[in-house]
Amino acid sequence: MLKLEDILKDRIFLLDGAMGTELINSGLPQGHCPEAWNEENPEAIARIHRSYYLAGAEAVLTNSFGGNEVKLSAYGLQEKTYELNFKTARIARTVCPENKYVGGSLGPTGKFLKPLGHLSEDEMERAFVAQVKGLTAGGVDFLLIETQYDLKEALLALRVARREASLPVLVTMTFNLTGRGYFTLMGNSPEDFVQAMEENEVEAFGANCTLNSREMVGLIEEMSRLTRRPLVAQANAGKPEIQPDGRIRYSQGIDEYVSFVPRLIGAGARIIGGCCGTSPDYIKKMAEAINDFHQQKPSGGVKHEY
Amino acid sequence: MNIEKDKILQELNRAIVRGEIETARCLAERTVKSGFLPLATIQKSCLPAIEEVGRLWEVGDYFLPELIAGAEAMKAAMSVLQVALKDSGQTLESSGKVVIGTVEGDIHDIGKNLVASMLRATGFEVIDLGADVKLEKFIEIALREKAEVIALSALLTTTMLNQKRFVGLLVNQNLRQEFKVIVGGAPVSERWAREIGADGYGESAVQAVELVREILKKK
Repeated sequence: MLKLEDILKDRIFLLDGAMGTELINSGLPQGHCPEAWNEENPEAIARIHRSYYLAGAEAVLTNSFGGNEVKLSAYGLQEKTYELNFKTARIARTVCPENKYVGGSLGPTGKFLKPLGHLSEDEMERAFVAQVKGLTAGGVDFLLIETQYDLKEALLALRVARREASLPVLVTMTFNLTGRGYFTLMGNSPEDFVQAMEENEVEAFGANCTLNSREMVGLIEEMSRLTRRPLVAQANAGKPEIQPDGRIRYSQGIDEYVSFVPRLIGAGARIIGGCCGTSPDYIKKMAEAINDFHQQKPSGGVKHEY
Repeated sequence: MNIEKDKILQELNRAIVRGEIETARCLAERTVKSGFLPLATIQKSCLPAIEEVGRLWEVGDYFLPELIAGAEAMKAAMSVLQVALKDSGQTLESSGKVVIGTVEGDIHDIGKNLVASMLRATGFEVIDLGADVKLEKFIEIALREKAEVIALSALLTTTMLNQKRFVGLLVNQNLRQEFKVIVGGAPVSERWAREIGADGYGESAVQAVELVREILKKK
């Protein structure tokens, strides 16, 4: 069983980077359900996980970002929710080296709760049940409820995770940097988020996506003023730009991206990984940056209070 | 009488700005029953209200829930006023016709839905084709409906390439001059819009409304 508090006592926990772009590089056809590959092309998923472990990630996240029932129903795959999540957990488990970990990824449904959208709270909550069960039965070590833009939806997913699993749960929301500070799409502030996470005793929480690593520093600083719990930071590598040759380049660039890793740690991030635009190359450089950080602080050094 | 009238128009304006859907509907009905000219009500009370909603979003006072509620309150008021408008023989000139959808291969529709409701709320006629829409379908419907603008949404770096393909498709079919093409979505940028030869990019739903107004002015 993953004991996050033990790990975080003496080191920064490094997660993996982007999955979607790696799937595309492996040939996932446009418009194809990414989670369907857990069944159709498990070797491709396994290869991506291996490359992240090899790069230095201490945990990889399963290929289940869109694996809730609502999202899968867009592909007519809602009946396979449990199965696809179970399989993705098995794939990751199979390639997971000793002393490393597997996290189960749970992304948003992509739909809104009433009155903005059509889903009731019950329906939204139900969307995550088979997913959590599948991931748990498949053997993940922890759950990561990620890229959430509506605190209510995040809390519904959390409720399912608490009820159906007895694993550590991490939660990340995605924030925009506005003229008035950091807010989610729905207007949740870092204060709202941190308070809700504290009330629910979430093991670790933070932010991912939307912001690049420079912008992420400010948000993590703000959150660490509000909580003593370990914070998660998974920044984007900037904005995608399509090159004349059709290749995609992310605006921040790998060196600049990684240069903010020490500042993220300094700001209070204890669990770090990549988001859109990152790859095993990024994770490798982040692992080196984290290593340098640890060596500068021989006593274990990471200030951490649960 | 005039003071009373102004008060009702102000209340209607406020109901839309606050996103009070039922109140907006009731107040719109009251203006009709009181014999106010629907066209004047729309121009003096409703349109300024939705502009204000957009402004509050732009400055960061409003977030998505408030923006959607404002657009819904606007819709509720407009549905009442448009019936009255027809009955009175007056017409509200449509600001333009827009065909909108998320491009093929992409099921993400949050941004597209927002743009559609803001365009509707600000007086455009919107034909929403949904998500994962074949590129040919945009052209077919735009031709049939004589739309002026085609709006393409994409959330993925792979599917944003379909925005480029779409412009190429229009050129190949000798239809590029027939429509204005606008693009949006998280990975999309002003630069991308320029590179692929689209007519514009809007960073948010509010900016999309501005954009459509601008490009139709130039037409």
